[in-house]
Amino acid sequence: MSFLSPLFLIGLIAAAIPILLHLFHRKTEVVVDFPAVRLLTQVPVQQHRRRQLRELILLALRVAALILLALSFARPYFAATVAPAAAPLTVIAVDTSMSMSAPGQFDRARQAATRALHAAPTHHALALIGFAEAATILVQPTTDRSAIASALTALSPGTGGTRYRTALARVSEVLGTRDGHVAIVTDLQEIGWESNDDGGLPDGVSVDVSGVAPPPGNLAVTAAQRRGRSVSASIQNFGNSEVRTPVRLLAAGKQVARADVALAPLGAADVELTGALPSSGGAEVRVDDATGYQADNVHVVALEPARATTVGVVVADPTGATGGLYLERALAVADNGREFDVDVQDGRDVVKWTESDLAKVGAVFVLGTRTLDRPGRERLRNYLQRGGQVLLTLGPDLDPGTVSDVVGTPMSFADEPVRVPGATMIASDGRHPIFRPFLNPSGALGDVRVEQHRRLNDQTGRTVLARFAGGDAALTEQAVGAGRLMVFTSDLDNQWGRFPLNPSFVPFVVETARYLARSGTPSRQGRDRARAEESNPAAMTTEEFTNAIERTGRAGPQAPRTAARDIEDRQRWWQIGLVVMLVALAGEALVGRRVT
Amino acid sequence: MAAARYLDPAIVARLGTIDLQARTIVEGFLTGLHRSPYKGFSVEFAEYRQYLPGDDLATLDWKVFARSDKHFVKKYEEQTNLACHLLIDVSASMGYASGEVTKLHYASYLTGAIAYLMHRQRDSFGLIAFDDSISVLLPASARSGHLRTVLLALERLQLGVRTNLAKPLHDLAAAVRKRGMVVLVSDLLDDPASVIDGLKHFRYRGTDVIVFHILDPYELKFPFEQAARFRDIETEEEVMAVPGVVRDDYIRKMQDLIGYYRRELGLAGIDYCLLDTSQPLELGLMAYLMTRHRAI
Repeated sequence: MSFLSPLFLIGLIAAAIPILLHLFHRKTEVVVDFPAVRLLTQVPVQQHRRRQLRELILLALRVAALILLALSFARPYFAATVAPAAAPLTVIAVDTSMSMSAPGQFDRARQAATRALHAAPTHHALALIGFAEAATILVQPTTDRSAIASALTALSPGTGGTRYRTALARVSEVLGTRDGHVAIVTDLQEIGWESNDDGGLPDGVSVDVSGVAPPPGNLAVTAAQRRGRSVSASIQNFGNSEVRTPVRLLAAGKQVARADVALAPLGAADVELTGALPSSGGAEVRVDDATGYQADNVHVVALEPARATTVGVVVADPTGATGGLYLERALAVADNGREFDVDVQDGRDVVKWTESDLAKVGAVFVLGTRTLDRPGRERLRNYLQRGGQVLLTLGPDLDPGTVSDVVGTPMSFADEPVRVPGATMIASDGRHPIFRPFLNPSGALGDVRVEQHRRLNDQTGRTVLARFAGGDAALTEQAVGAGRLMVFTSDLDNQWGRFPLNPSFVPFVVETARYLARSGTPSRQGRDRARAEESNPAAMTTEEFTNAIERTGRAGPQAPRTAARDIEDRQRWWQIGLVVMLVALAGEALVGRRVT
Repeated sequence: MAAARYLDPAIVARLGTIDLQARTIVEGFLTGLHRSPYKGFSVEFAEYRQYLPGDDLATLDWKVFARSDKHFVKKYEEQTNLACHLLIDVSASMGYASGEVTKLHYASYLTGAIAYLMHRQRDSFGLIAFDDSISVLLPASARSGHLRTVLLALERLQLGVRTNLAKPLHDLAAAVRKRGMVVLVSDLLDDPASVIDGLKHFRYRGTDVIVFHILDPYELKFPFEQAARFRDIETEEEVMAVPGVVRDDYIRKMQDLIGYYRRELGLAGIDYCLLDTSQPLELGLMAYLMTRHRAI
């Protein structure tokens, strides 16, 4: 058993009070000198021994109540598979950026990670981190190696860029003050050392870098733009040998134009592709590159002016004064209203969104489920399962009874909101894309004030991105089916706080919408998301990589503490402790009454 | 009757020496007797006797002299000769008091008063104090200074330890040679059978016996309210008891004990007088006089 707030265990000293009182009471108990005690022994009196037994029961109940009170405030949790906070830790960090997507490359990365898993000392706990632009703790520190192996099996490369320092910072957080070892599995891509990032490893932590060889060369369509009846594309050769390759322009699945280009080593060429293009929709510029990264072989060109990303907003009552108004206005600010097209929908009318409509929606904000009927709930559930991006707020318009039906995954939270006047919101992961604008103190999230929120009972499978003062989760993220579900545990309608009136509100919702909309499936987003730099397979040596890792002082135990808080949040033994304490007090009252 | 108020044990306790206490009790008691149907028990006229040189002139009957011109002196019952042994229990349990007066104090007042009365009646009397053995032994005597000796001994009585009435009773019964009277003042918190057996020993030898059973009102009524640990004064045995629960049973047991003593002692021809320490001492004196009357 571990404790989230062990200082409260000092309260256990209070358990001595009833013991002292008991002893004191025994000494001062009324003793009456009486001559005819022999007559008392002959009648059915309450025998001293029996009285002593009851007193001991009373004492035990009183001591138990105080101990339970202290333990409950110390917020205990059982971490059978979670490593003790002081145990040595091996962190396996696996690069999941786009540059790991060459054929067979990620399999080699998985094998290297598995080797690191087997090589980890048996007395070490293990944690698994996947990193690209952001770093995610996939498995919290644990002694369960099968959990690591299972997570490695499920791991796959994404489409993001590489940010080593972000990954190292996350590793450092997980390590905290422990002794440890870090196994980094990466393609050693040079471009991954983003100069604006901060992050390193604590002194004394050993590093083992497993380089996964990049492909010998890579062809990438780095840019494409429509110019009248033509599409102008930039093709780049990141290999060391000359390459001749056809460049094709496809529209609606059919080849519209083709051109052959010869690319010198590390050279680039612009290609003009002319053909009959439709007036709307998109076209793809594609090169053939069987050995390089696959995601950068295609570049999607919008044939019409760039459309705004559609953001659906589901409200319980759009006629109300607050029915998504603040959210709609905040999203309208982005890029002077050109970035997002907000579609506010009454819960009763969600069924009017067809499957094709939803396929065009970048993200859906669900602000109220009260008026969602069964078909509407099913529509949103399917959207999420098929790769949709949903942010659900647990505000006053939520129907707790049907929310699990809406998101298609169990959700447990207290029906009654928690009232914490003026609770601030603190980002648990400041490097998350949503919170990057808030790294600047002028946009600090600490200004946010929320009056009420709902307390999530179970956070299994969720990553807590932000918390309210007091420790309750404020913003969580989790995968549901092929989609992504984010949960904001308060509301965005200015009912449970004045967050929508806070300067942080606009960047918060805009970045959240951008984050969700960017997380769409590759088929829709394609090459647009991949950074051109990420297509460059130029790699460092292992030694260079290791030398590039900055050494920092010991980080605080935030990461283990966060993990512990998550576990404690799920288990909530303190509530059981308080209930048992009340039972003990009731028993004490009952037994005490019988004694007197 | 005004003097009778001095028979209240609590008031008597505030008087100075036991000499004064005994005198107050007896004088008050005798004053009361003038108006009571029992008058004459202690100063009853017995006979006339011709005056002899040395007789107290105060005893001359001047009316007879006026009528017959002869000197006669009055003789009263008090002038009959009776040897009385005052047995007082000084075991630790006699030190108990729920109020101002312990059982030992009460017993001392009563014994002192009886001694004073005996002294007035020219009876010889002795004092034996005991717990599980005899601690004070003053042989019976009718000498003029003997009363002071007895009262002084009563005043200096010290509480003993455990009660064992049977042994001293048997010892005394064997030692008493002359027919007389035994007054036992005790709380009788001992084995009842052995106590009665010891007292019967006196009866077998023709000695009249009166037993004053002294109890505190709390021993009779057990009026405690709060649950407490009751510790035996003599044995230190402790019993946790809730008075409200055990009171009825306790009182019943106490009444059974008293009834047993009353019945068994009555069958043995022994007078039994139950006194609680809140009762006037005159009840004890009255019981004594009735027994003495029968003994003469």
